[in-house]
Amino acid sequence: MAAGADRKLTGVQVHDNKAWFFVLPAAALLCFVGLIPLVINGWHSFFDIFTLDQKYWVGGEWYVEILGEGRFYESLGRSLLFSTCVIAVQFPLGLLIALSLPREGWVRSLGLILLAVPLVVPWNMIPSIWLALIDPETGYLGRAMAWSGVPFDYKFTAIHTWILLVLMDTWHWVGLVAILACSGLSGIAPSYYQAAAIDQASRWQVFRHIELPKLTAVMLMALLLRFMDSFMIYVEAFGINAGGPSDATTFLSLDLGEEIKAFNYGPAAARSVVHFVISLMIVWVFWRAMTARRDAEVTP
Amino acid sequence: MKRRALGIIAFVLLAVFILLPLLQVVQLSFTSTLPREDVPKGTLTWLNYINVFRTERLVDSLINSTIYVTLNVCLTLAVALPAAYGFARYRFTGDRAAFFALLAFRVTPPVVLSLPVFLLFAQVDLINTPVGVALVHCVFNVPIAIWILESFIVSVPREFDETAFLDGHSTPSFLLRHLVPAIAPGIGAAAFFCFMFSWVEVVFARTLTITDGKPITTAISSLFGFRTDIGLVMAMTTLSLIPGLVMIWFVRHHISRGFMIRV
Repeated sequence: MAAGADRKLTGVQVHDNKAWFFVLPAAALLCFVGLIPLVINGWHSFFDIFTLDQKYWVGGEWYVEILGEGRFYESLGRSLLFSTCVIAVQFPLGLLIALSLPREGWVRSLGLILLAVPLVVPWNMIPSIWLALIDPETGYLGRAMAWSGVPFDYKFTAIHTWILLVLMDTWHWVGLVAILACSGLSGIAPSYYQAAAIDQASRWQVFRHIELPKLTAVMLMALLLRFMDSFMIYVEAFGINAGGPSDATTFLSLDLGEEIKAFNYGPAAARSVVHFVISLMIVWVFWRAMTARRDAEVTP
Repeated sequence: MKRRALGIIAFVLLAVFILLPLLQVVQLSFTSTLPREDVPKGTLTWLNYINVFRTERLVDSLINSTIYVTLNVCLTLAVALPAAYGFARYRFTGDRAAFFALLAFRVTPPVVLSLPVFLLFAQVDLINTPVGVALVHCVFNVPIAIWILESFIVSVPREFDETAFLDGHSTPSFLLRHLVPAIAPGIGAAAFFCFMFSWVEVVFARTLTITDGKPITTAISSLFGFRTDIGLVMAMTTLSLIPGLVMIWFVRHHISRGFMIRV
């Protein structure tokens, strides 16, 4: 169950290429719903498409257009900034929650249930819920702010829209970070804590030398999931202010979503490819980090 | 003593932060939010829930979502279980590349895939049916399920497999009759995460259902208009939370175990 256990160290694995038979059904399914659509997309990105029977080869024109406009880089910058904010808030908070939860008993169960609840809310409802909450006439938070005289105008003040988005995203996802951190911590045998208590280790030392090493692998994964999902945020961000005020919250996916809605097949396909390549590069970096960690662990 | 009090305060704050928005939803769902002749605006009422069940497309959407999520969970577990077993017990040529591909599929944004998936599914008649949505949700659920199941399988000793094979079990019969009961909590946790990601997903579910088979998310969006009955929206949202809450209750002891990611 240990989050950091390594496949070379488990000693129960045999090298056998017949194992591909076990993986085959999953691979075939992912090919059909993942790989083939990506290839179709790549192909369409070189065409100007009126209908699927009527399309004209334009080569790399869409790519030149997308990568040549300032708007793309502005959206990219905003998406990066949003991911950074989200991670800067959710990781310390999620870790703190996971470390503070008791290691067993009903308080832990209750805490985990609470943390999981926002995860099961349909994504397009999350903006509606938060807009209802900050409604100055009927919302709890909105009425509290109106009563105490705190000005809050998410529609026209960019910084307020940003605060609302980060707060909403934290509500939605901090549970996942905390649950994953808990799963990393659950792999630590009680004997480690007992040994630390005998040595009179401080709370910081326990965290630094016992908990952190066990957490690294699973937190890297949490980081990848949270980074990508916030970097490509679409439904929730669009629901709050449709990218406004004046494009202050127009993230990468919002541009793509608009193009798909407008049925601009060719440019939308090219933009999808660009986004896919960006995700692939990010995954690559994370994969390298995980591999480097593993290699460092294997070689003593 | 002081630390304990601090802990309790922090826990209460967390609970308020998480529950306040949901409390708002439930409260609005029991409030009449449109001016009506017989029920004045702002009264406490069951009306919104009655209206949900009187509206055929809303009831249909609840059924549609339930169908595709159930299909997706079954399909995902069926293909992920053998794959997780393969990853847990064997090393093979290309296993690291396969791991990388799983990562890549998990994080590919649905917006990127929605258009080509729609075109592909239009060719093979998978539009407007829960089957299509269930299939496409496998893109992000299969990797998740494989990781969770793998971490549970690894904690089962290898002798367990060998004993079963010596008893004359074939591989499928071993997987179903021995491994599944042994890692039941893992199956539960994997089912929960698959359920959750499929239930809340919007982009694919909306793109693939144009005229028929519409999911809850589309039904809720369609309620917004010139005069939005926000009470009705919130009643629908409250109903959409119930299956998730039931799932959480069943897997509450297992969701924080086994999310081992091995390279």
